[in-house]
Amino acid sequence: MNASVSMLCPCGSGLRSARCCSLDASAVPPPDSVRHLVPLVERAIQAHRQGATETAERLCLDVLELAPDRPGALGVLYEIRKAQGKQAAAEALIRRIVAFDPNNFVATNELALLLLGRGALVEAEIHARNAVRIAPENPQAHNLMGMIMTEAQRPQIGEFHYRRVLELSQTRDPILLANLAWNLKNQGRMEEARSLYEESVAAAPDIRQTLLGWARLEEADRQFKVAGRLLDRMDTLSPKDPGVMLSRAILLGRMKRYDEAIALLDTLASQTSEGKLGPNELLEKGRLLDQVGRYDDAFVAFEEGKRLAREMSRNVYQDAVADNLITRLRNFFVGGRLRTLPRAGTRTDVPQPIFVLGFPRSGTTLVEQTLSAHPRIVAGDELPLIHDITSIMPRMLNSPLGYPEALAELWMGDQRAGLDNLRDYYLQKVAQMGILAPKAAWFTDKMPLNETQLGLIALLFPEAPLIHVIRHPLDVMVSAMSNHFTHGFCCASALETAALHYVRVMDLVQHYRAEMALRYLPIRYEDMVDDQEATVRAMLDFVGEKFDRRCLAFHENRRYARTASYAQVTEKLYDRSRFRYRHYRAQLEPVIPLLRPVIERLGYTVD
Amino acid sequence: METPTGPGTSGSATVPVPLGEVFGIAAGFERTGKLAEADSLLRHILAVAPAQPDSLHLSGIVAFRLGRHEEALAKMEQAIAVGLDTPLYLRNICEVYRTLGRLDDAVRTAKRAVALAPNDPLCLHNLAIIQYERLEIDESIASAEAALLMDRTLPGAHFELAEALLLKGEMARGWEEYEWRFRIGGAAPLMPPTDKPQWDGTPFDDATLLLVADQGFGDVIQFCRYIPWAAARCPQIAVACAAEMMPLLRQLHPDLHLFTRWDTAPPFRAFCALSGLPRLHGTRLDSVLAPIPYLRADPARAAEWRERLVPLAPPSYRRVGIVWAGRPTHNNDRRRSASLAAFAPIAAVPRVALVSLQKGPATDQAGRYYGRAPLINIGAEIQDYDDTMALLDCLDVVVTVDTSVGHLAAAMGRPVWILLATAPDWRWLLERSDSPWYPTVRLFRQTVARRWDDVMARVAGELRA
Repeated sequence: MNASVSMLCPCGSGLRSARCCSLDASAVPPPDSVRHLVPLVERAIQAHRQGATETAERLCLDVLELAPDRPGALGVLYEIRKAQGKQAAAEALIRRIVAFDPNNFVATNELALLLLGRGALVEAEIHARNAVRIAPENPQAHNLMGMIMTEAQRPQIGEFHYRRVLELSQTRDPILLANLAWNLKNQGRMEEARSLYEESVAAAPDIRQTLLGWARLEEADRQFKVAGRLLDRMDTLSPKDPGVMLSRAILLGRMKRYDEAIALLDTLASQTSEGKLGPNELLEKGRLLDQVGRYDDAFVAFEEGKRLAREMSRNVYQDAVADNLITRLRNFFVGGRLRTLPRAGTRTDVPQPIFVLGFPRSGTTLVEQTLSAHPRIVAGDELPLIHDITSIMPRMLNSPLGYPEALAELWMGDQRAGLDNLRDYYLQKVAQMGILAPKAAWFTDKMPLNETQLGLIALLFPEAPLIHVIRHPLDVMVSAMSNHFTHGFCCASALETAALHYVRVMDLVQHYRAEMALRYLPIRYEDMVDDQEATVRAMLDFVGEKFDRRCLAFHENRRYARTASYAQVTEKLYDRSRFRYRHYRAQLEPVIPLLRPVIERLGYTVD
Repeated sequence: METPTGPGTSGSATVPVPLGEVFGIAAGFERTGKLAEADSLLRHILAVAPAQPDSLHLSGIVAFRLGRHEEALAKMEQAIAVGLDTPLYLRNICEVYRTLGRLDDAVRTAKRAVALAPNDPLCLHNLAIIQYERLEIDESIASAEAALLMDRTLPGAHFELAEALLLKGEMARGWEEYEWRFRIGGAAPLMPPTDKPQWDGTPFDDATLLLVADQGFGDVIQFCRYIPWAAARCPQIAVACAAEMMPLLRQLHPDLHLFTRWDTAPPFRAFCALSGLPRLHGTRLDSVLAPIPYLRADPARAAEWRERLVPLAPPSYRRVGIVWAGRPTHNNDRRRSASLAAFAPIAAVPRVALVSLQKGPATDQAGRYYGRAPLINIGAEIQDYDDTMALLDCLDVVVTVDTSVGHLAAAMGRPVWILLATAPDWRWLLERSDSPWYPTVRLFRQTVARRWDDVMARVAGELRA
């Protein structure tokens, strides 16, 4: 039987649509009725094992036409398509296996890895968690969680799972050690990370990814020479390795050797089959071009990088989801209702949070580095906890409603202490993360876009300082274009959606501030540059701590900030990043009408 | 504002219904407040007869009443241009100019209206209002008096005269003229019709004296100080008041009978508005009754608010209470209200925390504030005047436009700086920076009409000092 080409599934599996991505579950025959196909499946498996790919493929297609849910046939076909580089087909097939057999550990593992590979972290996490549920003692399940949580910038959780792998496997696998080292590097624990890299390389000297990670660690820790030597070593090991070339370009950029860096990326591009760079390389190139004043070229690279990233990760702004949540928040958090809701009490026995709020790339890292240079303030970095609380709240409050409507349970006699419990959940998680230093009175939580949850934060921590970092919205847009981040419902996958989400969030903040008495202080990124001391004093006054000169020399704060801003905050305050948008006026033109009201409200102009 | 009566007929040949008739219907709609209907009919007329002056003029009035001020002005100016110097048009447009703050144009057209219709007291009345706003108080008095020479029973002119006299501190005459305030067309009646007399100050102790807490909350707060004086003459006192005012009025006298609905009013022998008591008391500039403080915060509640403010305002900062807008339905709100943005010079003063006591629709502006000083929108948590009083107890100073919070802080003897329009309400008198009504008040007056920048700069200067 030959399916006509037009009926074939667009995913590229080779199956008909009706037997593939458009499969109707009711069309799947009961297992008994297709038992005569079992020998065919076995032959397919055998053929595949023996390298007779065409035979195996033929057999699988035949079986799946009759019984589209046969896991054996799906598995073989998946292997074949994956080996052929047919990403979409492979993904569709492995998804089908997991859907038909949710307890299939191998398939779940494969799917999670595949999603991790293309940057679909949210979904990858769901399957990794399932893997742990299916096989809680399986090191690979924990390894998945370790990798995915590290990539998703929740390294503390990732570290836990990597350490579980060490326990369960009873070995010190060099690759695992390197992964853990990368995780610790992302937590700013440079010395621990370095010694793990040393151990890993001693055991397995020539692993590309390990050396690459180590080089990135040294670069981030400003050990440029060491980083350079590691990259040299890799050059002899695997000449013209794209990863090495990108790392070298980044290193050259940090050493301000921009032209060399750009030239290196151009060489890298010419090496690839299509003569093109990947999304990360394109953004790096754009940033380098920006440094040398080639702004038009830079923006072309940014846009191309964003486009490629959209294509590969399929991450686009979740417009309807964002709109729905923001509308519900606006409707729920109104003055009249807020007056009837209880507030959590303030704990005096543990350090208290300072929330550093702001759109990604607006200067939150700078403010955190500044504050955490103070002896009584430690950096908590981007804590995912407020978001977690919005997820667990319906369960914690035993509510049939979602967040924020679940807060209505606080009116019930048995939930009056509900906010205290949620507050304690947050504080307990912070304690578990080990970020609290002995003498600290405060810790920062600089999760970007936490301002979306300003109302909830003020209910949980009515006395916590809320420092909102403000920056010229067009500068924020330039930064959003020159960096990848998934915050804000993947809004930064394109300029227009970044602007739309920015406006939505700023309008929501305005709403909260009009409806509630908040301990809120806006801090301008530009003021940090223009009048650093006065701004730092204002922040510390606001927090209620004495001024400390060390906060002015935040770039000497040895703490490593693991976000994209790390390279900037290790330099003294510089003027370049202020009103950088002027170089990109033409490219930003499409979003200026949307942003203009916020620009004016914030007291900025468009020049 | 009065509408023209002359029907326009030009161009009537092009439509089946004579335009004059349509105009009459439109004018009827305008008189009865059906503005949208009037608007659409007038559009129809003007489409056919674009230069018909009465229709232009009426259309301008309708646009004005619908809040489309610029369009209103354009149409009324066009009506004047094509309709020559019709006094009615001039008399009406000067009110539009005044509302928009174009006082030079207002006074010019008002004077021309007076010149063209020297026997129309309404033209003089309008002129008096404009002169008051221009702070030409003697001229305003002369215009009002001239209007009254033509018509002794013109309540608006009496009231305008009262305001000008009181502003000058001429209280004996001022209080008498002030009695006309309830007869102004469209003014809310003091109370339901009654056959009982207005109290003349004569003591009695065998029946109830009914006092009416009239006008805005600021007036009530200012004049309730006279309740003990009245109670000394008539011990049985009932007060008709809004529910919001009850906790305040209770502080004045232990045995007041307070009620909020007229159908629950007790029997009484005589009545008086609270704002009528200064006249009976014979208050003069040198004999203002000022038993400050006559209102006090509940100590327990003040302690709660103090506690609430501790984490919200940096401990070493001065707490400056602010109110930037009054009730938007107040007829002088455009003049007396500022905006939070105008407080920028104050927000730039180091080590100051702004504590917003603002209520009502202007609260929105708190969300749009990005100044340097922290702003604590505590107004969002204020439920009633007891809360406001408790909060006032916790602030170092209050800076407010002329609204009830200013009166409240002043009646409590708290330091309060009141920001005034060039031509303020009469009670703040002329030029002085203090007030005989309230010893803890400092007055900051506009020097240029409707411009707050220099006022705010002066306040900021005082805060820095």
